[in-house]
Amino acid sequence: MSLTVGERAHRIATFRFVEVRLMEIVAAWIPTTPEMEVKVMLGRHVWDFAQHADALGKRTFELRERLHHSRPPSDAYLRFLEDVRALEATTERLSALYEVVLPGLAGRYAAYLKEADPILDAPSIVIVERILADTPRQRAEAEAVRRELALAAALPGDLARREGSLELLAALEARA
Amino acid sequence: MKEIGRFRFGPVTLRSSPARDACFRVVLRDAEMHEYESTDERARRELVHRHMSNEITSLDIAAQCLADYPDAPWELRLELARQCWDESRHVAALARRLREMGGAKGEFPISTFEWNVTCAVDDLPGRLATQNRTFEAGAMDVVGGLVPALRQAQDPETADVIEAILADEIQHVRFANRWIRRFVEEDRRVLLKIVAAVRFLAEANAALQSEEGEANAVGRVAADPSLRVPAVNIADRRLAEFTDDEIQEILRQAGFRSLVSEPTAP
Repeated sequence: MSLTVGERAHRIATFRFVEVRLMEIVAAWIPTTPEMEVKVMLGRHVWDFAQHADALGKRTFELRERLHHSRPPSDAYLRFLEDVRALEATTERLSALYEVVLPGLAGRYAAYLKEADPILDAPSIVIVERILADTPRQRAEAEAVRRELALAAALPGDLARREGSLELLAALEARA
Repeated sequence: MKEIGRFRFGPVTLRSSPARDACFRVVLRDAEMHEYESTDERARRELVHRHMSNEITSLDIAAQCLADYPDAPWELRLELARQCWDESRHVAALARRLREMGGAKGEFPISTFEWNVTCAVDDLPGRLATQNRTFEAGAMDVVGGLVPALRQAQDPETADVIEAILADEIQHVRFANRWIRRFVEEDRRVLLKIVAAVRFLAEANAALQSEEGEANAVGRVAADPSLRVPAVNIADRRLAEFTDDEIQEILRQAGFRSLVSEPTAP
């Protein structure tokens, strides 16, 4: 059975929240990251995340919510994002964002595409597909800058395991 | 994540510098910079290096504003996010040009003055007034004169890079002008914040700029501060939506010199 309008709006608004938070995390990292080449890459990705959030925010309005409505994800996912934001070392930041957060988020978007009705929710599908098209480029750019600067991969703590076990939308259903 | 702190310099409290590669030597005063008098290759490399560094600083500032003001209107945050991308492209273009010229990052001392001042201001309208409306608008005047000067010095490649950057900067100044007007229309008290930010900038500038006759690290002697005001880039200031009255006031401060007839030395 396809998602209701309300369920679509809640999911899209949650994705918007996450994209805004990613924009803020990367923005906060820029002044505290020493490597010029990394700053340059993050500067582009700030704009990517902002555009994703903008498109999703316009879509929430079409789904009977406020323009640019955001809905927080589960508390556990929020804490996970806060822990990512708190990372200090460039190597850890790159590994966490490009090896854990973005692939995990891409999986969540892909799951949404499977649930979405291809006709009734086509506008959301177009937006999500455009976002998904950015992810491989962002990850490739991160890999290129890591190679250029000879930065080793350094995945901190248990972030990857945590990401895999987190429910982004389960809390959403509970609140719906 | 650790916050970037503050430090005292003379009468002003400034924001400590953002992170930089270890190869860079960050200095505080104009006099410590290696700005040359001549237009030879080394002087032009230093110019490109200095502009590259300033663009990194502009990126840091726009990014910090995004991080510090989550409740700002979304349309303004979108402008700041776009500015992040623009400034990062400027850094990349100038870094590429520097390499083409045989230079490298860290070759000359750099300053993060614009960050030290702007990010010491605690409100977003004040930061927009300081960084976008003053520093970036001032850079439009300087850069507007540089483009013809670089062509005259037979360096069209650098001129092309600088000219492309200038076009982007107009939008950064324009959106700041628009949002400052909107903030003031909504709440007249915002004007007080802007006045305070501009006054703070003047104090910081006075504390850190070279005095008349003072030589910098490579022997270039500073002129009277009032004579250092660049010729006004009237056309681009109009595009950036400065009013005629504002342009008239800026012209007065510049001794009524405009960019129509006099390219500045690179």
